[in-house]
Amino acid sequence: MENLLDINFLIESFPAIVSRLPITIGIAVGSLVLSLFIGVFTALIKIYKVPVLSVVTSIYVSFIRGTPLLVQIYLVFYGIPKIIYYLQIEYGWLQSADVNSIAPEVYALLAFSINLGAYLSETIRSAIESVDRGQFEAAKAIGMKPTQMMLQIIFPQALAVAIPNLGNMFISTIKDTSLVFIIGVVDIMGQAKILGSRGLAFFEVYIAVSIVYWILCIAVERLLVKLEKRARRYERGIAS
Amino acid sequence: MIKLENIHKYYDSHHVLKGINIGVDKGEVVSILGPSGSGKSTLLRCINFLEQPTSGIVEIGGKRVNVESASKSDVFALRTSTGMVFQQYNLFKNLTVLQNVMIGLTSVKQLKKDEAKKRSLEILERVGLSDKLSHYPAQLSGGQQQRVGIARALALNPEVLLFDEPTSSLDPELVDEVLATIRAVADTGKTMFIVTHELNFAREISDRIIFMEDGVIIEEGTPEQLFTDPKMERTKQFLSKATRNN
Repeated sequence: MENLLDINFLIESFPAIVSRLPITIGIAVGSLVLSLFIGVFTALIKIYKVPVLSVVTSIYVSFIRGTPLLVQIYLVFYGIPKIIYYLQIEYGWLQSADVNSIAPEVYALLAFSINLGAYLSETIRSAIESVDRGQFEAAKAIGMKPTQMMLQIIFPQALAVAIPNLGNMFISTIKDTSLVFIIGVVDIMGQAKILGSRGLAFFEVYIAVSIVYWILCIAVERLLVKLEKRARRYERGIAS
Repeated sequence: MIKLENIHKYYDSHHVLKGINIGVDKGEVVSILGPSGSGKSTLLRCINFLEQPTSGIVEIGGKRVNVESASKSDVFALRTSTGMVFQQYNLFKNLTVLQNVMIGLTSVKQLKKDEAKKRSLEILERVGLSDKLSHYPAQLSGGQQQRVGIARALALNPEVLLFDEPTSSLDPELVDEVLATIRAVADTGKTMFIVTHELNFAREISDRIIFMEDGVIIEEGTPEQLFTDPKMERTKQFLSKATRNN
């Protein structure tokens, strides 16, 4: 009798797939952190209309939005070692960097940070601009410095506005990390592919890995709901 | 104490303030009246550089600033020697009542936390909000928010308080509590600059009233002079119309 699925193989593939979860989560969370810095930095460049840099930012955002993530990953993976090598040979810079010893995870992290940073840039800019002008004026009027004003007043309010969007992008990023096997990073998807070709049971391993992604994303969504509640607590009726 | 000399403000080609000269003594309460669009709020906002004046001189407590060459530290000095109360309250929405009052002390004056807290509690007591310390602005009525706004401005112990139509966004029945708070502050001898539409209040609380229109000062004098015997026809017109509406 022909079986649709090899259930045992499917179940047995879980532990191996789950064991690569730290790679998937590491790349997603790591690039979220890095891209938040990129996003805030570029958003401020746009808001304060910094000459030159704001043009560079526009080109960066437009390029990332206008090219496939897959291409960007290749560009980082093949481009950065070449650039480093070139700088070493031509200018003697970065001599301590050994191009061959850079782990593919590092390129993955970089590529995803650059990608997510561009998307966050616009979200963060509009969140900051959505904060009431009066908040900026009140902060200036009591003599707060721009950094104090941003960190203590504006960012917390902008974050509350931005969390739903940031969350959606983060969830997309988690799913997009399934591309990293193409540069040799064995994440949960990579592990699934390895298992699948070993046992010639691709349908089974892809079902398994899709369940892992699904549960991961549900967990993240729940976390985001809690975070949003916390970030917005001042808008609601509860005193802390 | 405060001196404004020949203040001009342009928005592009629109001439909003046309050479304003005002001197205010220590402890004096000065109200600015005038129809909407007369430039009175802009004038107030030029004093602490929320609007950049185009030309003129702002002097507060001996610190003299030519606005055309004002440095960052000049602006900082003017802002820390003034406290502003806004029409829309503009309390920091993400901070509690206590934090709203404390933040200037901890961030700007760099006071220690317990010292800042002690001062803030005293001031909140004065405006009658000791029971709302951990409330967020969204949980307060407009009148309560504005009293926190006054407390926040007072906390830094500025040389002068600037009130920008402090009761204009309030429900009528909440106006009195805010006016009472402002009156209580005036009684402590604070120098105050008030832009308002509350004519009776201005008449009662002010040492001097300035009537502005179209970016110039039309007339100024004691409340008695202005309300009972205005020299300019325009002042008479405005006050009689506005008091009839009151």
